[in-house]
Amino acid sequence: MSEHTIHTPILQLTDVRKEYGSDGITTEVLHGISLTMEQGEFTALIGPSGSGKSTLLNIIGLLEQPTGGSLLMQGRETGTMPEEELTRLRGKSIGFVFQFHHLIPAFTALENVMLPLMLEEGRLTPEQRERAVWLLTRVGLADRVDFKPGKLSGGQQQRVAIARALAVNPPLVLADEPTGNLDTAAADGIFKLLYEINRESGTTFLIVTHDPRLAKRCSRVVELVDGRVVS
Amino acid sequence: MLFRILKNSFLKRPKAVLLIFLSITMGAAVATAFLGISGEISHKMALELRSYGANILLEPSAVEGGFLREEDLPKIKTVFWKYNITGFTPYLFSIAEFSAGGKKERGVVSGTWFAKQLEVPGEDSSIQGIKGIAPWWEVQGRWPEDAAEAIIGAALAKRLNVVAGGDVTTIVRGRSQQFRIVGVVTTGGYEEEQLFAPLVTVQSLLQLPGKVSRVLVSALTVPMDDFGKKDPATMSKDEYEKWYCTAYVTSVAKNVEEVMAGSRAKPIWQIASAEGALLKKLNSVMLLLTVLALGASATAVSTSLMASMAERSPEIALMKAVGADRFQISAIFVGETLLISMAGGVVGYLLGDQLAEVISRTVFSSTIVSPLWLFPTAIISALSVAIAGSVVPLRRALLIEPVRVLKG
Ligand SMILES: Nc1ncnc2c1ncn2[C@@H]1O[C@H](COP(=O)(O)OP(=O)(O)O)[C@@H](O)[C@H]1O
Ligand SMILES: [Mg+2]
Repeated sequence: MSEHTIHTPILQLTDVRKEYGSDGITTEVLHGISLTMEQGEFTALIGPSGSGKSTLLNIIGLLEQPTGGSLLMQGRETGTMPEEELTRLRGKSIGFVFQFHHLIPAFTALENVMLPLMLEEGRLTPEQRERAVWLLTRVGLADRVDFKPGKLSGGQQQRVAIARALAVNPPLVLADEPTGNLDTAAADGIFKLLYEINRESGTTFLIVTHDPRLAKRCSRVVELVDGRVVS
Repeated sequence: MLFRILKNSFLKRPKAVLLIFLSITMGAAVATAFLGISGEISHKMALELRSYGANILLEPSAVEGGFLREEDLPKIKTVFWKYNITGFTPYLFSIAEFSAGGKKERGVVSGTWFAKQLEVPGEDSSIQGIKGIAPWWEVQGRWPEDAAEAIIGAALAKRLNVVAGGDVTTIVRGRSQQFRIVGVVTTGGYEEEQLFAPLVTVQSLLQLPGKVSRVLVSALTVPMDDFGKKDPATMSKDEYEKWYCTAYVTSVAKNVEEVMAGSRAKPIWQIASAEGALLKKLNSVMLLLTVLALGASATAVSTSLMASMAERSPEIALMKAVGADRFQISAIFVGETLLISMAGGVVGYLLGDQLAEVISRTVFSSTIVSPLWLFPTAIISALSVAIAGSVVPLRRALLIEPVRVLKG
């Protein structure tokens, strides 16, 4: 990208609020989050348990609607989009890595990775298959392509989930405690992989983590306490 | 993509698939069997009902003194509805003086056919007469076999004090004829006051050769519906054609009337309408049972889909999270169920068809030919069951919020 391009931030949150509850009894979980992320950033989101990290991530991931404020995704306002458009945007622009990997147990590693591709294209092409194999190779699972999740270790399952998140080559990947259930060695490996992918492809990462050791290795750290950004 | 996901679901969830498959197969099998034998049951039932007596009466159309011609009778076997006519018998009556062993009584002498071999060119030979259309008559002794033999109603026999083997002299307008009584008949009706003799003998006694005063016809008919009750005189050409080609008791009566010169055919409504009501009820019961069977299997499908949905909700949530829209979720969900139901429909049809055959063989001792519409009906039933059973689970599936399921 040349220096003269007027670039849009990949993500721009302004005063985002989220309340839960109904029938008058509501609690605000996010009290006005403002946050801008540039293309290619590798950001850690830290904070104590219950501070609203997952909620914020889900709002950014268009899985939940904020109750106030605005969210621009690549410059486009998402608050007014109809359901189907949000679904389409999510499928195309955002990859997810969940804490509990959430792979489909009945599918092989390869099929799990191909799933978003199939959903996007509406059919299966040889190129998709090639890409899925390549991604699994990239995350170090070339020899596990036809394994079902049950036959893989926790770290390997999370690698499949990362490959799946990258399947449609989304500009933004959201990871909610991707190493939360892994031992230190496996966690380090996963983190290193995410970092490398960020370097190689310029994919923007927002990673929720508890581990200060890992957070320190990110180019930027956002800390959330009680639903507010403190740093 | 769909196929791939479906294939995976099939192979990897054998229990749920099997359960749904079985529910649908059972439903389709029962529906097929019921619908398959319902035609047969109606037919058999109608045949049984025919033993309650004739349902069409042919009389001379002239107000008084007219007669029908015996020579026209064979034509009844040639009419459009000839295969629906299970039997008929002519009568020629007169009031007569009976005497036996010094006793004299008034009564009715009735000439008729008992069991007459009827040969009609171009048609199968058949046996017509009272024996066929009034099977509930109880004859003590035997049926008459030659021209001077007769059977006598039980009440008249009592008054004359005759038994089988006795003789009765019958006098009509000064002419007399002696009959050898070969049987005493009990019917529970007015026939017990009559003496039944061969038609030809009574014709000569009455000096009415070749004449008949009424004909009773027993015909298989369909229940009267609103259309059948319309007056044929007011119908358009197409309506009349439809009416004529439906085996209503009125249209069969009309049909017979046309071949019997100078006749007027009247349905015997006590019989015809009781019979129609019974057949109609029978059909509704069969239909109701079919619908209930399908409803039960739809409920079973719904229940197992709900269970499988609960089990799959993380998967559905995940598909939504990675970009599956409502249409794709529905397609996966319903597509899978529809595929299972197609298979269930085919297997259910085959099973149901066998079942219908076994039932009709053991219960009615007859073989049935399954109607052509049965296969599509079975498939459509299976698909309807699948769709009906999918509605609630699918709505639940579409309401799944990914965050609820996936939040770490
Ligand atoms: N769906 C929900 N309904 C009600 N309260 C919720 C819901 N999701 C999260 N919360 C509440 O919001 C707060 C933040 O939750 P969460 O975002 O999961 O925090 P974190 O991920 O930082 O641990 C918690 O107090 C939690 O109980
Ligand atoms: Mg959390």
